[in-house]
Amino acid sequence: MKVLAPFLLLLLALIATTYIDRPLPPAELVIIERSDCFTLDPQRMSYQHEIRRGETIYEGLVALNPQDCSIKAGVAERWTTSADGLTWTFHLRHNAQWSNGDSVTTRDFLYAWRRALLPDTAADYSGFFFEIEGAEAFFQWRAARLGAFKPGDDADALWRETEQRFLDDVRVHASDDFTLEVRLRRPLPYFLDLCAFAPFSPVHSVSVASFTHLDANTGRMEQSHGWTKPGFLITNGAYVPTVWRYKRDMRLERNANYWDVARVHAASIEVRVIENPNTQVLAFGAGGVDWLPDVGPEYKTEMLAQRRLYEARHAAAIGVAHDRGAELDETIRVLPPPVAGERRDIRALNAYGTDFFSFNCRPQTTNGAPNPFSDARVRRAFALAVDKQALVDRVTRLGERVATTLVPPGSIGGYPLVQGLPFDTARARAELTAAGWTDRNNDGEVEDAQGKRFPTVDLLYSTASPRYQNLALALRDMWRRELGVPVEVRGKDSKLYKEDVKKGNFSIARGGWYGDYGDPSTFLELQRSTDGNNDRGYKNPAFDAMLDEAQREADPAQRLLKLAECERFLFAEEVPLLPICSYVTVYMYDPSRLQGIREHPRLEQHFDEFQRIGAPSDATSKEHAQ
Amino acid sequence: MTRMLVSRLLQLPFIVLAVYTVTFLLAWMVPGNPLENPEGRRPPPEIVAAMQKQYHLDDPVAFYFEYLSKASGVAWVMGKSDHPFDLGPSLRQPDWTVNEIIETGAPVSMRLGITAMMIALGIGIFAGVVGGTRPGSLPDVCTQLISIAGISLPSFVIGSALLVLFSVKLRVFPIGGVSGIESLFLPALTLSLPFAAYISRLVRFGMIEQMRSDHARTARAKGLSERQVALRHALKNAFLPVLSYLGPATAVAMTGSFVVEKVFGVPGIGQHFVEAVLAKDITLVMGVVLVYSTLLVLFNLAVDVMYRWVDPRIA
Repeated sequence: MKVLAPFLLLLLALIATTYIDRPLPPAELVIIERSDCFTLDPQRMSYQHEIRRGETIYEGLVALNPQDCSIKAGVAERWTTSADGLTWTFHLRHNAQWSNGDSVTTRDFLYAWRRALLPDTAADYSGFFFEIEGAEAFFQWRAARLGAFKPGDDADALWRETEQRFLDDVRVHASDDFTLEVRLRRPLPYFLDLCAFAPFSPVHSVSVASFTHLDANTGRMEQSHGWTKPGFLITNGAYVPTVWRYKRDMRLERNANYWDVARVHAASIEVRVIENPNTQVLAFGAGGVDWLPDVGPEYKTEMLAQRRLYEARHAAAIGVAHDRGAELDETIRVLPPPVAGERRDIRALNAYGTDFFSFNCRPQTTNGAPNPFSDARVRRAFALAVDKQALVDRVTRLGERVATTLVPPGSIGGYPLVQGLPFDTARARAELTAAGWTDRNNDGEVEDAQGKRFPTVDLLYSTASPRYQNLALALRDMWRRELGVPVEVRGKDSKLYKEDVKKGNFSIARGGWYGDYGDPSTFLELQRSTDGNNDRGYKNPAFDAMLDEAQREADPAQRLLKLAECERFLFAEEVPLLPICSYVTVYMYDPSRLQGIREHPRLEQHFDEFQRIGAPSDATSKEHAQ
Repeated sequence: MTRMLVSRLLQLPFIVLAVYTVTFLLAWMVPGNPLENPEGRRPPPEIVAAMQKQYHLDDPVAFYFEYLSKASGVAWVMGKSDHPFDLGPSLRQPDWTVNEIIETGAPVSMRLGITAMMIALGIGIFAGVVGGTRPGSLPDVCTQLISIAGISLPSFVIGSALLVLFSVKLRVFPIGGVSGIESLFLPALTLSLPFAAYISRLVRFGMIEQMRSDHARTARAKGLSERQVALRHALKNAFLPVLSYLGPATAVAMTGSFVVEKVFGVPGIGQHFVEAVLAKDITLVMGVVLVYSTLLVLFNLAVDVMYRWVDPRIA
């Protein structure tokens, strides 16, 4: 039958493609991510999931303890700091090894940190390294020389000069293979926190160097990214990537040469990329997936409501365990499984970020008219008139904690709880009256002394997610009702929204910020007059001076108190922005299947602590073997 | 036959060159700069300028010729490149070469497309024969209705329905990623339906015509049963239009599975290609177009060879 010929041909092709693309054996844990890592080059990492992967496969001088985000030893087994807080000396452990068996030495750190400080690398977090004395000047010098480079110039000579300048000017110094000395340009109590951050990880200098070459036309040190691919990639963390397929999956295998390998639970982890948020949830529902770290679809609010039903039914047991100090997952793990209409495999966790709306604090609007929001009393009035609990309960509906300040409560050890403005409509109206705006003709709207109406408030949001449209509409209604001011909402797609925010073309605009490191300054520096992310145009020399004074404080505990005073000043008096709530991140995982998810708001989830319940614990079986 | 093969293979480079040129012109006209990503990741301006120079983004003519010489293997023959078919680095994903992206994505899309075509052929021929031998009967009306549904319902609707039914409710098939063949069945089924519908209509019309033809009457006169007439004599000729449809259809199934890939989370080349177009990732766009236009020409050639074999009258 010749009709069957095309079938046979297709069958042959199918067998061939299936053979080329053979399936991998199942991994011990399966994680679904929405996007693939851009890179496994730690110095060029930038996104949260990428940084998390970086901290899985590399280990820096120190690491964060995911339970409470305190500092624990990494490659450095101990460290000291000078009395002025400027000089840090790290002593590297002698048993730290790369996955190929080489020792991790100070050379690898120097090489990695130099890469981060070369504009050639185009690293997103070069700015963090500028805290090292001489680093910023080195970066600027190299960038200027590269900018002026013309074909025909001597790239080799420029590179030799660059190497020499790094040695002479940048104050990182290795006195031997295991002692690293760093001098900072100012005391930085959170310097160890930075050292735990993936871009500060070492790279295997020999193998990376073999993938670089000088480009004679541009003078740049070019690298081929082949060294980040399995087969070439050498790492020093708990896991080594053995397979990495573009936007498809990554296979991580436990690194047998990792010095602390006995602590690493799962022998292999598959990280699968599924971009469609709905398909992600369906894939989790179909089983075989341990963790979905970023639940996207809008219907997650309904799923979370089912979780609340389950928790409500077991409220007594959960309460008792909570009082005993048990983590929620431990309690839920031993409770009976959910009945129809309930679920326990979804969870909203407080994140290290705050959702807010920015006030435009500039003296004039973009069209030159006087801007009422340049007056702190008006800003306070608008902040006091907002019922945030209602917004969280009826609009965002993810069970977020309402916020009156920017630093998420409980996220930084030793930092006190700072109170901003409460919800108080009477006080809001009083503030507005004090600023000269009151309803003089009983038309329900406020006017100034000359009888001029309050200028229409231009409330800007991005249309990227319905969340912000809903929030903007609810805020509009609250302000109209409580303050008698005209408010119009204006939705723009992300790009135009960002442009308008940067230009200051708004009265009030949607905003949000996630902290980069474990110190309040990652949030408070946003309000500095000169900060690049000060979208509000808030310029207050008094606040800048307060912030400087706090930053100069040598005693860490005292410094945190001073920073808290800065934050109180900002959110009880100045209110350049209106905090709405702490962000939450919604995870899907079944606590009776996966163990090791941490609740700390910085959401440091370390793969080496993940463990399948019921799976034989490798760590213990190894101990038995010994 | 040999002459046909040789002449068609000689035409191949020219066809691919024409496709390359047209795609290049279209891709270059798309506004935007692949090195500028609005979602953060802003390298310093001097670095962007250097990268522009390195990739010849400031000089379309140089880009056109350099890319062509590397991709076609000319640069390798002349000793200027390390790889015979170097499709360059992806501009948007600097850590990946276009070759790597195609090597991981293309086998998946091919498996998906091929499986879909096999399903489509099976369903289409069966439905076409059933309908074509008894036009107007209840089975005919049913298959006709289903085939209209297959053509008109968008694949994201069918796909989502199949997903919820078979994967979430019944848990028969896994979702997301590719492991064994079972993980490709649902997406392939979804992808196959429009093709199956079209094939069934081709076969149905062919069968109706063939069953009325002289050679069918002769076969009946020989005393063959209606079933034997249909399967041995009529189907062979009714299948010819399907065969010529099969070449381009397989190519479409292998490349045009963007929506199905999205719905089922299948990591194929389709979605990378669409994203590359949107982000103006020219090297990735050009690379995928080159590979697929070559494949398309080869498929059509294979179909023509088969055609001649099935129906010697053509030669």
